Amino acid sequence: MKKNEIEYMKNHSVGAQFKYKIASDVKKEKIRIYAPLILLVCITIVASVTIDNFFSPKNIVNLFYQMSIPLVLATGVTFVLLIGSIDLSLEGVMGFSGALVALLVANTMNSVHLGWLGIVLTVILGTGAGVITGYLHVKLRIASFIISYAMGSIITGIGVLTYKGTPANVTWSVFDAIASESVFGVPLLTWISLSIFGLGCLILNYTAFGKAVYAIGNNEAAARSTGINVNKTKIMVFALCAFTASCAGILACVRLKIGQVSIGVNQLFPVITSVVLGGASLAGGKGGMLQTFIGVLMFTELNNILIIVGVDPNYRQLIQGIIIIVAVTLTITRSRKTITQ
Amino acid sequence: MKTLLKTEKLGKIYGTNVVLHDIDVEINQGEIIGLIGENGAGKSTLMKIIAGVEKSSMGRMTLRGETYSASTILEANRNGIGMVFQEQSLVSNLSVSQNIFLGREKKFRKYGIVNWGKMNVVAKEALENAGVSNVEPNKKVETLPFALREMVEIAKVLNIVDENSKRGSIILLDEATTVLSEEEIQILFGQMRRMAKLGNAVVFISHRLDEIMEICDKIYVFKDGGQTAVIKKEDANLDLLYSKMVGDNNSSEYYVTSRQTVAEEEILLSVKDVSRFGEFNNVSFDVKKGEVLSICGVEGSGKESLCSVLCGDLGHTSGTIDVSGKKVNLSSPYAALKKGILVVPKDRRDEGIVGLLSIKENIVISSLDRLSVGGIYISVKKCNQISENWINKLKIKCTGIEERINKLSGGNAQKVVFARAIESEVPIVILNHPTRGVDVGAKVEIYSLIRDITEKGCAVIVLGDTLDESIGLASRIIVMKDGLVTGGFDCQADKKPTQIDVIKMMM
Repeated sequence: MKKNEIEYMKNHSVGAQFKYKIASDVKKEKIRIYAPLILLVCITIVASVTIDNFFSPKNIVNLFYQMSIPLVLATGVTFVLLIGSIDLSLEGVMGFSGALVALLVANTMNSVHLGWLGIVLTVILGTGAGVITGYLHVKLRIASFIISYAMGSIITGIGVLTYKGTPANVTWSVFDAIASESVFGVPLLTWISLSIFGLGCLILNYTAFGKAVYAIGNNEAAARSTGINVNKTKIMVFALCAFTASCAGILACVRLKIGQVSIGVNQLFPVITSVVLGGASLAGGKGGMLQTFIGVLMFTELNNILIIVGVDPNYRQLIQGIIIIVAVTLTITRSRKTITQ
Repeated sequence: MKTLLKTEKLGKIYGTNVVLHDIDVEINQGEIIGLIGENGAGKSTLMKIIAGVEKSSMGRMTLRGETYSASTILEANRNGIGMVFQEQSLVSNLSVSQNIFLGREKKFRKYGIVNWGKMNVVAKEALENAGVSNVEPNKKVETLPFALREMVEIAKVLNIVDENSKRGSIILLDEATTVLSEEEIQILFGQMRRMAKLGNAVVFISHRLDEIMEICDKIYVFKDGGQTAVIKKEDANLDLLYSKMVGDNNSSEYYVTSRQTVAEEEILLSVKDVSRFGEFNNVSFDVKKGEVLSICGVEGSGKESLCSVLCGDLGHTSGTIDVSGKKVNLSSPYAALKKGILVVPKDRRDEGIVGLLSIKENIVISSLDRLSVGGIYISVKKCNQISENWINKLKIKCTGIEERINKLSGGNAQKVVFARAIESEVPIVILNHPTRGVDVGAKVEIYSLIRDITEKGCAVIVLGDTLDESIGLASRIIVMKDGLVTGGFDCQADKKPTQIDVIKMMM
């Protein structure tokens, strides 16, 4: 690289060099965008060749089933990372929603049975938590990771209080049905997760709000000067993230048929890592739905491989950590900009 | 010809610092107006006030006969005034059309879904309207070369302004040609003429005087926040512009020239053929003991990145740097300090001081290695003593050595930074705009401090805040333009070059 530059410098003006530099940055950026996809394809090929039944329909369906909840969470997280913020309340909102929905439909704890209304109510309350997080972040100008951590703690606390120690078991037959039904051989849960992801795609790519999200992450001052309501957009982003976390909580409750806050535990960082693996930047402005999909798939696939290969569970965590470092090193751009908000 | 905008006694004050005063500018329909002056002369500030980025603190403006002021860019846009910024304000991860209509997607929206296809079509029209035909509206801005981004930005501003005003718009271009090639500049000029012909007005800032004389009908010359001349196109010539830009002040007293030291033979810093790709090429110079070297040049001439290379912030592509005859690798500011180069940065608030720490801590922070015993123990008493000494010596106005540095005024904070530089006992000190945001009284004290440093046998490199300052302080000058060294001057105390001599090489 440096040799090229020295060679080019010999017979070009400084201005021409500057243009050359910009052009080569643009080229590098183009390659970088495809890095996660290339890595995913490589991993898939290696795994398919070396592991029996890895590329079988059964395992692929299984893979998508495994990634259904992370994908829902990642949909919301993508928006938050795009504006350069972070939302640590996700586990709390997820746990709270799972706990609450169990109490609002037919269950072993109480005689309340609101049916579908219970689900709607849970989503509204979960999303409301995100609105509050976003509002406090914007109005009090508190860094998003502090305020969302605090909100996550509060909402987890509320979740625990709803059932006071003994979680409720869901007895509503609809939950059973959703958990066990398949359409075209693919579990209903997977379809639901894909629909929520699809909704995220639609919002991010086909609405003015989606473009405002990109604009804020890339150049907040420019976004403000064009008349975008930056604060409102940020609040909406946190609401959206809480919405997906709430949906994920309900899905988890459907799967386990038990409503306890601990279903949210250990969801947050794998999801953020997945989104970053896909090419999103923690500094904002970079990433997208397709990238997120690739990231989540890659992360799930790596886990899946470790399980199929039969890695000793005692080593799995350790190996997982190493793999993440390698994968992230290969895929992300490095910049001086770090998390600022 | 109708008058679009008129300013009367317009001015701007930051704190106690008057950055713009008594500006009477008249912008008429069909005119292309040039603003020239050194960096910091107030051109950009005036534009920002007109464009709604900043508020004026004195005087008034009238727009099409009515009182006008704008507190946001949007408000200015609604009044038919749009500004193309020096630092590009496009969102690089969005497409060209999304940028043009950012925040204005309403007319392409149905049930919340934006019709990008339709937007692209309209964007294409908007681009053609601005004379840009070779840009695909669905391309991401980050994939475009700089020149095209500039054109997109102009198309965007033009579209916004046109939408809001059919009565004659004002387009402000701040250094729009810096990144453009000769050919692209001609295209831009064509567009500017066309816009003017349609009954709009264009205001244009550039450091390239030949451009200004070529395109502008009327030229306003700025110096130190004031307006020194209005020159019509037919009267303009280079010598006149130069002389109006530098004004006439003779201020050797002010710069304590009587104490200017004569350089010794010993070379402290030797820069040989150093280049940084795309920023500056083949820069060579020596700095001797006791010498003050001024590097002159407009913004973008490469002097800022040269300074960053010397203080270890940026790497260089080729060439060597020797300190006291030994080749050094300045991989970081820490490495530079170890080798004996310390920088007093331009942006004091962000880079120069540790705002949360006390005056004392800020003074000793670069000398801790030397002050510590065995690399661990640092004597509080010793630090206190040193700090007290400096406060007394430099007359730093404060309540005591424990006061937080961000409570101090600009001038006093800068004195603390200087105290740190001298205390660290490094042989080579780089001063990047040492008097920016400092009031006149403190300036003189800082100038005599610089003389103190050279008397102690240090070498100083200065990037002056004004040309006057650069010449006044220097014992030698090198001038940079477009990334190359274009010339140099020896500046004995009694034989300084004039500002016009220097500025001719800069622009």
